[in-house]
Parts: sequence; structure tokens; C-alpha cells
Amino acid sequence: MDTSLTALGDPIANAKGRRATAGWPSLLIRAGSLFAFASVILYFAIAAPAFLTFGNIANVLEQSAILGVLSFGMTIVMIGGGSNVITGGIDLSLAGNLGLCAAVYASVLRDGQSDTVAFSLTLTVGLAVGLLNAIAVVGLGILPLIATLSVMNICAGFELVLTQNTVIPATSPLLSTLADNGPLGISYLAWVLLVLAVILIIGVEFTPLGLRLYAVGAYREAARAAGLYVKSYIAASYILSGICGAIAAVLSVSILNGSSTGSGAMLLSVVLTPLLGAVFSRRVVPTITGTLLSVLFIGFLINGFQLTNVSSYWVNGVEGILILLVVAATSLVGRRES
Amino acid sequence: MAAETSSTEADFITVRVRLSAVLRYTIVFAFIAVFVFLSIQAPAFFNGSNLLNLLVNNFALLALVSLGMTLVTSTGGIDLSVGTAIDIGSLVFISLVSSRHSLPAAVFGGLLGALLVGGFNAFLISALRITPFLGTLGTLFVGESVQQLATNGGQPIYLITGDLPRGFMEIGRGSFWGVPIPLYIVGVAIVGFLVLIQRTRFGRYVVAIGAQSEVALYSGIQVRNTTGLVYLLSALVCGVTGIILSSTVKAYVPLSGNAYLLDSIGATFIGTTLHAEGRPSVVGTVLGVLLLSIVTNGLLLIGWNFYWQQVGTGVLIFLVLAVSFLGRRARA
Amino acid sequence: MNLNREGSVLAMHRVVKSFGGVRALAGTNLNVRAGTIHGLVGQNGAGKSTLIKILAGIHEPDAGSIEIAGQRYNHLTPHRAEKLGLHFIHQDRLLIPTFTVGETLFLGSEPGVGPLPLLNRRRMKRQAAETIHNYFGVELPGAALIGELTPAQQQIVQITRALLRSPSVLVFDEPTAALVKPEADRLFETIQRLRVQGLTIVYISHYLNEIAALCDRVTVLRNGVDVGTVNPREVPATTLVSMMVARDIDEMFPKKVAKMGEPVLTVKKLYHRTAFADVSFTVRRGEILGVTGLVGSGVKELIRSLFGLIHPDGGKIVVDGHPVHLRSPSTAVGRRLALVPENRRKHGVALDLSVRENVTLAGLRQYSRFGFLQLAREAHDVDELMSRLSVRTPHCTTAVRYLSGGNQQKVALAKWLSHRSRLYILDEPTVGVDVGSKVEIYRLIGELAEQGAGILTLSADLLELLGICDRILVMYRGHIAREFSAAATNSDELLACATGAEMTTRAVND
Repeated sequence: MDTSLTALGDPIANAKGRRATAGWPSLLIRAGSLFAFASVILYFAIAAPAFLTFGNIANVLEQSAILGVLSFGMTIVMIGGGSNVITGGIDLSLAGNLGLCAAVYASVLRDGQSDTVAFSLTLTVGLAVGLLNAIAVVGLGILPLIATLSVMNICAGFELVLTQNTVIPATSPLLSTLADNGPLGISYLAWVLLVLAVILIIGVEFTPLGLRLYAVGAYREAARAAGLYVKSYIAASYILSGICGAIAAVLSVSILNGSSTGSGAMLLSVVLTPLLGAVFSRRVVPTITGTLLSVLFIGFLINGFQLTNVSSYWVNGVEGILILLVVAATSLVGRRES
Repeated sequence: MAAETSSTEADFITVRVRLSAVLRYTIVFAFIAVFVFLSIQAPAFFNGSNLLNLLVNNFALLALVSLGMTLVTSTGGIDLSVGTAIDIGSLVFISLVSSRHSLPAAVFGGLLGALLVGGFNAFLISALRITPFLGTLGTLFVGESVQQLATNGGQPIYLITGDLPRGFMEIGRGSFWGVPIPLYIVGVAIVGFLVLIQRTRFGRYVVAIGAQSEVALYSGIQVRNTTGLVYLLSALVCGVTGIILSSTVKAYVPLSGNAYLLDSIGATFIGTTLHAEGRPSVVGTVLGVLLLSIVTNGLLLIGWNFYWQQVGTGVLIFLVLAVSFLGRRARA
Repeated sequence: MNLNREGSVLAMHRVVKSFGGVRALAGTNLNVRAGTIHGLVGQNGAGKSTLIKILAGIHEPDAGSIEIAGQRYNHLTPHRAEKLGLHFIHQDRLLIPTFTVGETLFLGSEPGVGPLPLLNRRRMKRQAAETIHNYFGVELPGAALIGELTPAQQQIVQITRALLRSPSVLVFDEPTAALVKPEADRLFETIQRLRVQGLTIVYISHYLNEIAALCDRVTVLRNGVDVGTVNPREVPATTLVSMMVARDIDEMFPKKVAKMGEPVLTVKKLYHRTAFADVSFTVRRGEILGVTGLVGSGVKELIRSLFGLIHPDGGKIVVDGHPVHLRSPSTAVGRRLALVPENRRKHGVALDLSVRENVTLAGLRQYSRFGFLQLAREAHDVDELMSRLSVRTPHCTTAVRYLSGGNQQKVALAKWLSHRSRLYILDEPTVGVDVGSKVEIYRLIGELAEQGAGILTLSADLLELLGICDRILVMYRGHIAREFSAAATNSDELLACATGAEMTTRAVND
């Protein structure tokens, strides 16, 4: 006769070893980060009288538009793909997509087509890039990191073919309007950023589709068990990201009055801002709002440096240290709670 | 549902298994195919001096960086700051040479500079337990700032040809018995990393950590120390790269190291397709770098527009990845 | 609802399932009558979880059929199972830690704001709290994050989500594993109330007293077959247990011939803030000391502190006469301690590494000179060792993933053999292992003791402890309740001590 303790025993569990209702350490981290952000803004406000003027803020919004739109695309991919950065969601092709779409837009205009034609074509190209990513990640099962990396190469290649490594100048009614000031004296570029932000915030944070996207990214098995078609959501996130690339490209052509070279430098910032923005959300996940705030923060940082005559070379370093601080703090918190 | 599989079903399964076993070697086939194609299409390609040129200019430096990346990814991490290590190494090296220090001292200084970057990574990742992607990303950003500040906005430091210490030119451009020095260095590095990963205790620990780090921990392996060391080694080999690079161009050009980042990631991950479970390997990475090199070099010789080359390279990598991942899917 | 001839709302007929040559189910039958609570018991490896996964549509059976509400199916998919009214309360909760209670309950069927496709968070929050209050009488804020809830609260959310989908059959898989007694009691109340409301419940558990209290009928699985279905209230627990395990005890355990030597491990008044206090004992060379206790008795934490995985807050650990501070597993290994962990697939063996690589992992120094590995010698020694342990595998270069549970466990043990450890700490060494391999493992443990190592083994299997140990320590609520000599006690005594029937606590001096 065999007896097993677990077979006959009572499930008496020790209440002490249990998971305490954690919440305050991460609250502390978030509060601390917000405080840090706020104090930096405050410092600039004091050091440079021109900082908090309406005109300057509008200026910052305008300067942040491109990074902002791109970062929104990255945020959507990260939400749907999950937080593990090697196997999770990431879209490295965004910068290449931007360059390609900008080249398409500029060259179509140069060939004498109208804005409508140019814009539609550009949007199509952005969509195609997003679709290619979606096929690679969802259809072929390639790791997002290398899938989007190789798509980036393809985009960069096509961009070079189109531009012949020169800058294609472009002007058009749409481009001029964008660069102009619109309502409230804020340029249309900034309005695009704000309107897109509002649309995406509503779409991602306040609709069922958005909630399900979060579910897919947070715990794929659970999402599947809840009856969600996981693959569709992930594919959609890459396609949306591609569209964001196209939109950002149009903005870029407007600012530069032509296509661009060297948009690759922005890639790392585009990766950084959603991750940094996670600190603005209660659940420490990437959100559109958080991304917007961190993009604006970077914008204010650069702007503040300019106004206080601090060398802009410090910007990258500060970005780096910021992300390290936030990550170190959140990982320390995570360790304590486990 | 019948308990036995029908014979056609069994055949199908066998075909799938065999096919996926073959697909593992996609990268080898791709390499051979491209090589043959280029040799036929461009007579100038399959030519001793061109191949040598290819090895030195396209292959050598990328291979060095990718070896470091291979080691890091073997532990399940990634190093986004390879460019930073290259640049800082280069910066210190060139600065020391331009301030009249001896060549050995300059080399030593350069390597030390790169090790500093690696040490910073090791600190972030091992001591502070920051995830490697974000830790090395932070290092990358900080490194950019450092360089911009040190060079007042990205001004390269040029060296005057007449004023160079003996042996300086040799590092990048010298040769020994007809073989360029950089190739010796790369050869030693390849053998070194191969031996390190496959034949040393340290290498076995690295592989175990990459496979299942908890098991490594429970087996008494010092996971944190080993992980930290891996980032130091990666930075070291990047420092060597930086020194060779700046010796070749006789200058330190800020932020030039970043060009190697994406290609080294690409080569390393292409190389993982060689292994049944997607493990990084020295052989795989070397093949990946070779593939990238012959494509860059060869397409130019064929007369492809330089710009179409990029597209070609991108599409080729994409196809290699697609086929390999499909193969892995088929087996699962 | 439709019933078949026997009045069953759910039935499984002669289900067969194999995984890569290992037969998990060999023609299992299950008949669940409508409106009853039907229990399912069996040892690890008997086939319980495979059966349930087939029901959930996660696996397809090789043969046999599933019958629900009178309709027969060859296999199910998760979608179809849900449509048919089958809902599962899995052990791994499949809940998203960063979601709120409200979001979790309504994911997939979110309430909107009027005609707009927006999330009505306020309604979700309110309805969630209301629903939970109605079903469970518990106050749970709809905006709380899943990650911040206790396991019991998470389970309540899990069950509520299932209930919101109007299930006809609810399957509970080991639901009380992480619950304290009052929470478990509340769960039982809920389950009984659900039965009154007409739901059919399938209840899988290791705890036979729960089965007896809750279930109308219980099916016993053994080696992939259902060996009987009985009324647990009419049948004593011991009968159930003997149905679960039928084996010949005498040949299982080797004779003990080891000579006891010097103390290899001495623990003095070891104390950990949240887990245990005043723990003192000694293990000698050649001795096999068993330790056991219920969940929450502190045994697991004790084991972990003896290997540097957690740090005690007070007391002393002395290994081979030297006081040690075990800062990490690597320190412990340096002191010649060895741990064979309970979760072998997660902590014991690296699934993607080969047998050879796994076996030498802890003792690589033996096979390296100046840091370089001596691969030929390693291969030779490992092959020899593996054949001595009768590990069946074509080459020692296959990945461990493809081995059976028993062989994997042997690899996990073998890892320490080349290391010549002084003290082996074994955490549930034969859980999920087939009987044949169990015997071999017991033999190996005996050999290790004979060769002069000390063994500390933690197990919930009392008969196993009685069979191989010299002495047995029973822990209760963080203290050593009593020490037994294996030869002089029986499982009833051990059980009584572990469940607190005897409140005497004796310090063990040796």
C-alpha cells in the first residue's frame, strides 16, 4: 500500500510566502521618472525665458512630428508583438521605409504628377513595406528583429535606386501648406502629429481592437485561449506601421523640401521612445500617449539645449542615460517583486 | 481517427523531415550558387587579386565584428554597441598616435578604450541586470555623445602621412608572405573564437547559458561573470577592428563604426539558420559574412548599378532567411 | 441537455494518444453524468493532463472519440470545445498580468459605448465587480491588475470569465494547488453551488480528501487507462490510492548497506524570515536523510537555502566541518554540494543541449586542462556512465529534449556523478518517472551512499522515503516537527505528523 503525502494531505499553505500586493515600488519608479522629466522642463523654463512661450512650444511640436509619427508605428508593433525585444515585436524597417517613401513622393512630384497621385503612391509603397514585414514575420515565421532588418535593407536599396544618392528636390501645394502655419498659429505639420496621435490613442487605448492587440502582445497563449486570431493582429500591426512610415515621409519631404538621405540615424531614437514612454503608463507597457510624451520630451530636451546654448552633442548621451536609468530602476523593482 | 498513419502520410512526413534537413544548409547552397553565378557573369570576379581584395575590404572587418556578435548572441544576448567599441578604440588609438606615442602604446590604448565600452556593458548587464538590448542601446547613445563631445561635433582626426610611427601602415595595409596582415588577424580571430566556443570550458558555459540559463545557474556556473566577460570580449575584438580600420584610412572618423552594426547582426542571424535549433555559430557567421561580401563585391563587378546592389543584398538575405525559417517550421 | 444512453453529458471512448513513441493514453474511457461533480485522479504520468488537453482541443487523439451532448467527435478544437459549452480552469491561468479584472473578463466580448465601437471601461469595471460579487460574494475592484491579485483572486477571475460564457461543463485542473485553506473552502462552496445550478463539473486533483468531499463519482487513471470509477464517499481513500498505484514494493528499494561516517552537513538553528525557523539537523556520509512536509511547511525553502538559491536570515551551515556562507549555487557547487531540482525540464537539464553536454556541465573542470576541453575523454566517460545507468538513447549527442522523463532524470542525476559531490540534495527525484526508471534511480542513490556521499532527499511520496531513507524529518509550518527512524515508523505516523496531528516539536541533536 502506498501513500503519498499530497494525495492525502490538506492544502495548508503558508500565507507568509505569498505575493504581496505590489504596486508601490513601481509607482515610485514612475513617480520618480515623471519628477525627473518635469524638473528638466522646469530647469529649461527657468534658464531660457523663451522656452515656455507658445511659439517655442509650437516649434517643438513641429520638429517632433516626424519622430513622433514613426514612433507611433513602432509602438503599435511593440504592443502587438510583445516585450521580449529579441523575439518580440520590433520594426527596424521604419527608417528605411521613411527614406523610400520620401524618395517615391519626391520623384513622383518631380515627374510632374499631382499631389493626389504622389500621395496615393507613397501610401501604397508604405503599405507594401508593412505587408512585406507582415508576411515575413507572420507568414514565414522569421524573427521580427532580422525580418524587419532585411526589409530595411531592401527599402534602403530601392531608395538609393530612386534617388541615385542625391537629394530630390520637391515642392507642391500640399508640401507648402504643411509647412505653413495653420489654426492657432501652429504649423500643419504639428497638427498632423496631434491629429494622428488623437486617432491612434482612441484606436489603441479605447477600442476593443486595441485591447485585443495588447492581449496578443502581452500573452499570446492567453489571447488564443480567449478566441483571438493572433496572426491577424500581428500582421495588422506591421501594416499600420508601414502606413505611419509613409505619413512621416510626406512630413519629411515637406520639411526638407525634398527627399532625404541619412534617415537611418533616426532609427535608434524610434526604437527608444516607445520603451522610454512605457514609464508613463500605469502598467509599464508601451502606449501611444507614453510615446507621444517621450517624443515631446526629447524634442524639448533638444530645444532646451539649443536655447541655453548647451552643445547638442549631449542629447544622445542624455537619451542613453535616461533609458538606462528607467530600465535599471524597473528591473530592480521587478527583481524585488519576484 | 485511425491509429496508424497511412503510408502516403508517412511518406509525406519523411519527405518533410528530409527536406527540412536539407534546408538547414540553405546558406551554403546560396553561397555556392551566388559564387558560381558571379564567376560566370563577371570574369573579373573569379580572379586572385579580386578575391583577395574582397577578403580584405569587404570580409575582414565585418567578420571580426560578427565574431564578437556571435559570442554575445550565444549567451542569448545582443550587443548593439559594437560600433561604439570600434569608434572609441579607433579614437584612442589615433589620438595616441597623433600625440607621438609609440605604436605599441597606441594599440594598447585603443584596446583599452574598447574594453572600457565592453566593461560598461558588462556592468549594466551583469551587475545591474539590465536586459542586453536596452543596456547596449544605452551604451550606444552615450557613446555617440561622448564622441561628438570629444571631437567637437564629429570632426575626424587625420594623421599626416609623413609623421607616422613605424609599422603603422602595416597594420591595415601591410602584408606578410603575400597575405595581407588583416587577413592574418581575422584568421587568428576565427580560429580563436571557434576554439573558444567549442573547445574550452568557458565556451561550454556560454553555450549552456544561451540554451537555458537557469540550468547553467543550477549547475554551479557563474552566469553573471561569464555573461559580463562575453561583452568584454566582443568589445575587444571590435577594438581590434577599429585599430585596423583607422590604420587603413589613417584617421579616426567619428560614428563610422555603426555601419557594421546591422550587417554583423544580419550575418550572425543568417548563420543561425545552419544549426538545427537556431544557435549562433562561428561557421554560420563566417558563411553569412562571406555571403554578404561576395554579393557586395560581385554585384559591383557585374556592372549592376551600385544602388541596385543594396536591393540585391537585401532581397538575397530575405530569401535565405525565408527558406531557412520555412524549413524550421516544417520540422516542428 | 442531450444525454447519451448512460445519462452522460460528456464521455470519452477508448482514447489512445502517443507522443513520439511514448504511450500516454492506452484506451481511456470517461463517463461524466449530467449535473454531477466527477473527479479524476491518478499519479503524475498516468495520463490526466493528456486526457484533459484532448478534451480542450489542444491535442488530437490517435484513436477513440469524444462524445458531448450525444454527439460524437473524432477530435476537438479549442473553438469547438468552447462552442459546445466546455470550459477549462487550467492550472496555468492564462491570465494577462497587465490587464485589469474588467478587461480580462470581457476580452473578446467587450461592452461598447452606445453605437460607437469604443471600450466602455466604466461599464466593464462595474460589471466585473458586480458579477464577481454575485457569483462569489467577494469584493474585487474591477480596475485591479491581475498581476497584483493573489492566486485565489486570480482564480476567481478565471472562473468568472468561464461562467460568463454559459458553460455546460466546467473542468477544474488542480485548482487548490496555490490556495490557502479558507480560499479552498470557498472554492468548494462555489463548486457545489454551481452543481446545484445545473452545471456539470470535472474535478482533477491530487488531494483525495477534496475528492471525497466534493465528488459524486471519481475515475482513477493508471498508466494511461481508467482502472475504475467509484463513489469516493463509499470507498476509503486507501483503496483509491491502491488503485492509483499497483506495484510490488519489495523489489523497489535496494537493501541499505552503507556505513555511516563523519557528518557531511550540519545545520544549526537555520532561520528564514518567511519560511522556516530553528531548523537543525545533520547528515552523515553514507546516510540517506529524508525530509518531507506539506506545501507551506518550509521544506522547499530549506532545500533552496542549502544550495545558495535563497539566503537564510540566521543560523549556520557547516559542510565537512567548515562553516560556509552559500551565496550562490556556484559557491555551493564549489563546496561539493549537488542539487537535483524538482522541475527537471526547467532547472535540471538543458533540453537543447546534448546528453554529453548536460552530464558534464557541473563537473567540466574534470575534463578540462588549462581551460581546454578533453572531448575524447569526455565522450568516453559519458558513454560509459550512460550505459551503466541504462539510458536508452542512440548517441550521447542527441538533445536531451527527446529523452523520456525517466531518462532525463537520470541525466539530471548523472550530472553530479562526475563531480563527486559530498552531499546530494534530491528534490522529488522520481516525480513523473516510470516505474522501471524509479528502481534504477533508487539503486543509484543507494550506490552513492555506499560510496560515501551524504544524501538529503525531499519527497511527498512517503513510501519512497520509508523505502530508501535511514531517517526522516517531518516539517510542519516552518519547524521540524519530529524526526523518525525509517525502520521504526510507517506512513500513517508520518502523515499524521505532517498534517499537524501531533504538535510536539523536538529539536534534533546529532
